[in-house]
Amino acid sequence: MTLSVQLTLQRGAFSLQINNSLPLQGVTALFGRSGCGKTTLLRAIAGLDCHADAEVQCGAAIWQQSSRFVPVHQRRIGMVFQESSLLPHLTVAQNLLYGFNRLAKDTLIQLQPEQVIQLLELTPLLQQAPEQLSGGQRQRVALGRALLSQPQLLLLDEPLASLDQQSRSEILPFLQRIASQTGIPMLLVSHQLDDVVKLADQLVLMQDGRIISQGPLAQQLLQPELAAIGAMSLLHAKSHGSVNHLQHLSIGKQQLQLPAPQHGDTASYSPTCYRLRIQARDVALSLKPLSDSSVSNQLQVSISGFNSAPHPAETLVQLTLAGQPLQALLTKQSVERLCLKIGQPIYAQIKAVALD
Amino acid sequence: MPELFATLSPQDWQAIRLTLKLCFYTTVILLLLGTPLAWWLSLSQSKLRTAIQAIVALPLVLPPTVLGFYLLLLLGPHGAVGGTLEQLGLSHLAFSFSGILIGSVIYSLPFTVQPLLESFRRMGPRPLEVAATLGAGKLDQLFSVVLPLCRGSFIIAATLTFAHTLGEFGVILMLGGSIPGETQVLSVLIYDHTEAMNYAQAQQLSLGLVISAFVVLFIVYGLNRRFEREALL
Repeated sequence: MTLSVQLTLQRGAFSLQINNSLPLQGVTALFGRSGCGKTTLLRAIAGLDCHADAEVQCGAAIWQQSSRFVPVHQRRIGMVFQESSLLPHLTVAQNLLYGFNRLAKDTLIQLQPEQVIQLLELTPLLQQAPEQLSGGQRQRVALGRALLSQPQLLLLDEPLASLDQQSRSEILPFLQRIASQTGIPMLLVSHQLDDVVKLADQLVLMQDGRIISQGPLAQQLLQPELAAIGAMSLLHAKSHGSVNHLQHLSIGKQQLQLPAPQHGDTASYSPTCYRLRIQARDVALSLKPLSDSSVSNQLQVSISGFNSAPHPAETLVQLTLAGQPLQALLTKQSVERLCLKIGQPIYAQIKAVALD
Repeated sequence: MPELFATLSPQDWQAIRLTLKLCFYTTVILLLLGTPLAWWLSLSQSKLRTAIQAIVALPLVLPPTVLGFYLLLLLGPHGAVGGTLEQLGLSHLAFSFSGILIGSVIYSLPFTVQPLLESFRRMGPRPLEVAATLGAGKLDQLFSVVLPLCRGSFIIAATLTFAHTLGEFGVILMLGGSIPGETQVLSVLIYDHTEAMNYAQAQQLSLGLVISAFVVLFIVYGLNRRFEREALL
């Protein structure tokens, strides 16, 4: 599904100029600094604000074009706002069903209330009032409520921003589960690269009211704007089960072993594919494989380029591993000492990986 | 107390019925008019808003006689509204129940609009945006979100409007005079009784008004406290 947006806006010194088509599949992150226009764009897509001359088309549905403006309640969207947005006069169960009960009779029901309640583990909360819930629980209910309105597109406006670190890590697995199990495309507005890297498949990078690049997350992470925040890489690896708490993974023909994730509640949920987040500073390079090192994950890669790093003494080395990009942050001195060149095969030692 | 009211004359009862009728109609009309007006005031960014807000608050500061005077000019046989009605073969509105009803609606407008405006502002746009993204149209939002969330303020607005109309005097005297069954409401009748030196009758009605006004306000402040507690939860 493709979302096409055309939007021009001038508010004092701030101008927003969007004329883009965003292919929506899985989770698309709309990433940028606070105040770059992400939320304005999201609200225009939802139809919460009506801007003159804007055009919005979602798949085959034209939501806004010249004088035509489909009001919010007729757009098939689900939206989760930044702060708690549960209707305070309704119980959790009533909140969940608010949208579901308002569906047109001919709507194809893809998600039943029982499924969503189970997916988001909401059963113990159903009869409670919103004010009795924690921040993380409220966002979980808001997610479930949005899902039950059977949306074509799920819009998430910084859904984790108002949560503390613990609630944040509580709700992330649920977002991942929704993304992988419902197949509903999600557009996630965020200014937290950490959240984006854990969730997104695609990344749309915004700066000063413009979309400056878009594409698969792993490639987008090579963008200098993102590298400046914290250079990292995302690798997709196949799972081969775990032995002695070690997760066996493969990327292309190469093997990795990592401590298996310890999720008490998701023991039955074993993905076939894992996302590996690797900080550029956790990757070391050597010309020959190291045999007398404690680092056990050693991958054969080739050098595809060099980028400048935020620190003047450092260089970001771009590597390719079975077609996937990987970045290593080295000092310029090391690069010169090892005589690294583009196209050169080399060994990457990976010291730390976060598994999702 | 029963002995006290046993001596009420048919004229007194007529005035009581008329007063209650006036209060009831005024309250209903003002809730219907005041809700959209307060809603618009809570959302509007337009420059007109400040002007409208000042106009709504005018009856709070103007002497009722000023309001009644201008309404008399407007609604009377030679006024813009009254004159037009006469030309259409209808009668003008001065010294009629319709006339004092219009006067009451204007006079009590701030008592409906203020509490509603306050609660709409407190609610903010978010609950409605949420409802809209979940498929609720405007009218649906009014009934499923606005009314339940601002329930307390609607009750308070209605009670205050009713009570304020009960105490109306100047506007009615100027605009409606004192026609039994048409414009002679309690406050006007008390004035008439006093003028005629019927102190006992004036006393009965006055005491009745004091008690009923106290009861109404007691209820309002009780509700206020309860809804404040609810809002804090």
